[in-house]
Amino acid sequence: MPLDSSTYALAHLRVDGRRWKELRRIHGQMSTQAAADGSSYFEMGNTKIICTVLGPRQPTKSGGRDQSREAIIEVEIGVAGFSGMDRKKRSRNDKRTQEMQYTISSAFASTVFTSQYPHSTITIVLHVLSQDGALLAACINAATLALIDAGVPMQDYIAACTTGSTASYASNDEDADPLLDLNGMEELELPFLTMGTSGGEDKVNVLVMETRIQMPRLEAMVSVGLDGCKQVRNILDGIVREHGKKLLSSR
Amino acid sequence: MAPYTNIPLSPAELSYLHTSLAQDPPIRPDGRSPTQFRPLVAETDILPSANGSARICFADGTEAVVGVKAEVERTGRKGGLVRGKEDGEVEGEERGEDGWLDVSIEIPGTRDDDALPVFLAAMLTEALLADGELKGRLVIGRVWHWRLFVDILLLSQPLSYPLPLLSLTTHLALLSTRLPALISQKDEDPLFNDDWEASTHLFPRQPTTNEPETKPPITLLVMTVGTNILFDPSSDEIAVADAIVAISATEDSKDGGLKMVALRTVDPPSRLTSAGVPTQANTTAGGGLSAEETLKLREKDAGATVWRPPRGGVSRTVLGRMIKKVVEKGGVGEEVLEGLRGVKS
Amino acid sequence: MAMLADRRRMNAPPGGTSPPVFASLPEAKLTKPIRTRNPDEHRKIFLRTGVVPSASGSAYYEISPSNTPRQTLVPSSSSLKITCTVHGPRPLPRNAAFSSNLLLTTHVKFAPFATRQRRGYVRDSSERDLGVHLETALRGVVIGDRWPKSGCEVVITVLEGEEDGWWADAEEGGKAGSWGMMNVLAGCITVASAAIADAGVDCVDLVSGGVAALTAERNGEGVLDPCPSEHDIKAACVVGYLQSRDEVTEMWMKGDAGSGSEALIDNAVKAAVLTRTVLAEAVKEATEMKIGKTSEAAVETTNTGKGKTKDIQMTG
Repeated sequence: MPLDSSTYALAHLRVDGRRWKELRRIHGQMSTQAAADGSSYFEMGNTKIICTVLGPRQPTKSGGRDQSREAIIEVEIGVAGFSGMDRKKRSRNDKRTQEMQYTISSAFASTVFTSQYPHSTITIVLHVLSQDGALLAACINAATLALIDAGVPMQDYIAACTTGSTASYASNDEDADPLLDLNGMEELELPFLTMGTSGGEDKVNVLVMETRIQMPRLEAMVSVGLDGCKQVRNILDGIVREHGKKLLSSR
Repeated sequence: MAPYTNIPLSPAELSYLHTSLAQDPPIRPDGRSPTQFRPLVAETDILPSANGSARICFADGTEAVVGVKAEVERTGRKGGLVRGKEDGEVEGEERGEDGWLDVSIEIPGTRDDDALPVFLAAMLTEALLADGELKGRLVIGRVWHWRLFVDILLLSQPLSYPLPLLSLTTHLALLSTRLPALISQKDEDPLFNDDWEASTHLFPRQPTTNEPETKPPITLLVMTVGTNILFDPSSDEIAVADAIVAISATEDSKDGGLKMVALRTVDPPSRLTSAGVPTQANTTAGGGLSAEETLKLREKDAGATVWRPPRGGVSRTVLGRMIKKVVEKGGVGEEVLEGLRGVKS
Repeated sequence: MAMLADRRRMNAPPGGTSPPVFASLPEAKLTKPIRTRNPDEHRKIFLRTGVVPSASGSAYYEISPSNTPRQTLVPSSSSLKITCTVHGPRPLPRNAAFSSNLLLTTHVKFAPFATRQRRGYVRDSSERDLGVHLETALRGVVIGDRWPKSGCEVVITVLEGEEDGWWADAEEGGKAGSWGMMNVLAGCITVASAAIADAGVDCVDLVSGGVAALTAERNGEGVLDPCPSEHDIKAACVVGYLQSRDEVTEMWMKGDAGSGSEALIDNAVKAAVLTRTVLAEAVKEATEMKIGKTSEAAVETTNTGKGKTKDIQMTG
């Protein structure tokens, strides 16, 4: 177990030397691909995602039922065969991928001003180059940056991160600490949830949990998550402003 | 079905492009010379969890990422009855098998069994397996071997045939691929050194110059318009090509030049374009000819005044010239390899 | 077993059948077949069109099996057998997009019993690749702009394929470079050309397929129509050749040809010229038969038109 092998019991340091409230190294770039309307490259530790946005544009499937009053957000996630430790070719139609696609699509549908683009589609294509924990969170962050690069109007950034708990490790649950931003090894062993917030009022857009945790622990995890999302939002904001400065100075 | 039926160019534009490319010297829409390549950005070793990786961005925005992963696999028994030598004597002569290299291509918007990914994967696999050296390096012993998975991701919509892009990215990724160092002896279960610094390159480097001894092949797309031969065609130029050929070349270890290892003709999308209407046949201008007369008129015109999709194939002399231009000393192939040499990780 | 899971087909009995395995006699030595023809001689080809009456055009192509006396019941090399049917030109379905040229689709499939290793019912990537090659070869020859809003389907079934090397050779198992596929492609091009001519689709010329190889035994001297079990092939080339225009619509070359690549292409063209004679003969024969039949039928109708028609008596 990752926490056993680390010095967590003695010094409260995780395997990679972080404390419970520290995020991994986050790095992001915008406008990485000239051929797309908007694109971004986002790294959260060793999880690397490339995102491209096409749209708003005419819907590709002309089914005739074009009575939508709002833009439709389509999400496609492609996990590369070389992204994990073992080479595994994931098909695009498996249930886990479809669920992630739906989660991201509905999260952005509530934030993006879709009513300004009736009869159109916004396509978000995500390529996972390397995964090491926080997959859904990194996908959401990358999509936020790419949508901003494409100039799609949104209410605010959606910033996401993961939180977990040492509950299964600690013998006594009162000692269980919430942890911020779990890496791949920790996600396999510990219960964790993914949270995405938008807006300064801490509006939670995304909350996904697939593991089990006792109710008293949940509150601590959520509050740590909210704080973590705020930190991520500041980082995303920094990336966007940096990019904007570069654009303006190059004119 | 041909991959591209949606060429957004009218017969007049196609005729204009064709005429300008058929001049001597050819006038390309972006002003390049016939052998000039568009600028590209390349980087290697970008993925920590893959044995080798590379990413290339072309100037028109198309981007590709290639990741190479290797897994140890047990060698199956080969079929057949006749064994020329006894098993004990086959030391040092183990040959690789074609099935140990697995190339898969993912292009957004196409399924795995569409024509484009199939043809691209087949061409790239053929080129890599052509001289048999790569297969030989995947052998660990008589019982075990490496299985190499090359996953190619095209990150943008395919604007034109992405073959050279994918081939160059694969070339760089394979050059940067490292395999862990073998500790165990000949026929034991393989055991490798945990230290990644001790790993060996799949294409081993010369000890003095740190240059690779041999390199994987590169595939170039060459097109012809009339008697002109053009390299690195853009999507507009491909739409009016008379013929398109994909040529794979690799360095010849014997005389230091290049040799061709695979060649394939590609169906030019110009055959699917619609022909223009000659003035006399234009019914809106008061023509009013019957179908038979229109046909006769178009056949007589034979593409002289209006655009007509090309018919027939490519002449042998032109093919010979194309091959020569790629592999000759100081030719385009050497230029491309020279350019790739400067890519740092 | 995985095969039982295929519910869409009528499966074999669950116990399965095992083919007979012949024990080899201890004294018998299996010798690798060697080429008895000249290096520039093609094997005998049988080509006939009009074999499937319900299709617009069809053709059957066969390379006669070798005559060398056999020591075992297993034939030493396979002989290629291909059948092709052409459906079209026929109108595209209503919801298809407008296309001002003929939409040619090719479909190549090996029968499951065509090769020594059984192939499945679903097309795999090598068959799709053959389809792409064939389409490239045919598209240059078909005059598409005379058939707007139409499609033409070329369906090829390989009943017996060419193998990649001598079956009994264990060491060659790893070296094979799918040379058998090139022979199959050359045959497919020829038979498809015959079938298209039979269907009456407008073409610029007859395209014929030819294959040549550089072998290790002959030190750079090329051979035409290589039988992979007879040779140790270093490089091979398939062309789809138009003789009257001296143009190549399709070329597929593989292997280490080095400086001999030009000679290899020339040899492949020579092989294509040889197959073209067979192709032209077959098409001419078929056309003569068709003209003969239609003139007969024309004569008949004029007779009965003037002739006495008998009233039909209904017996009640």
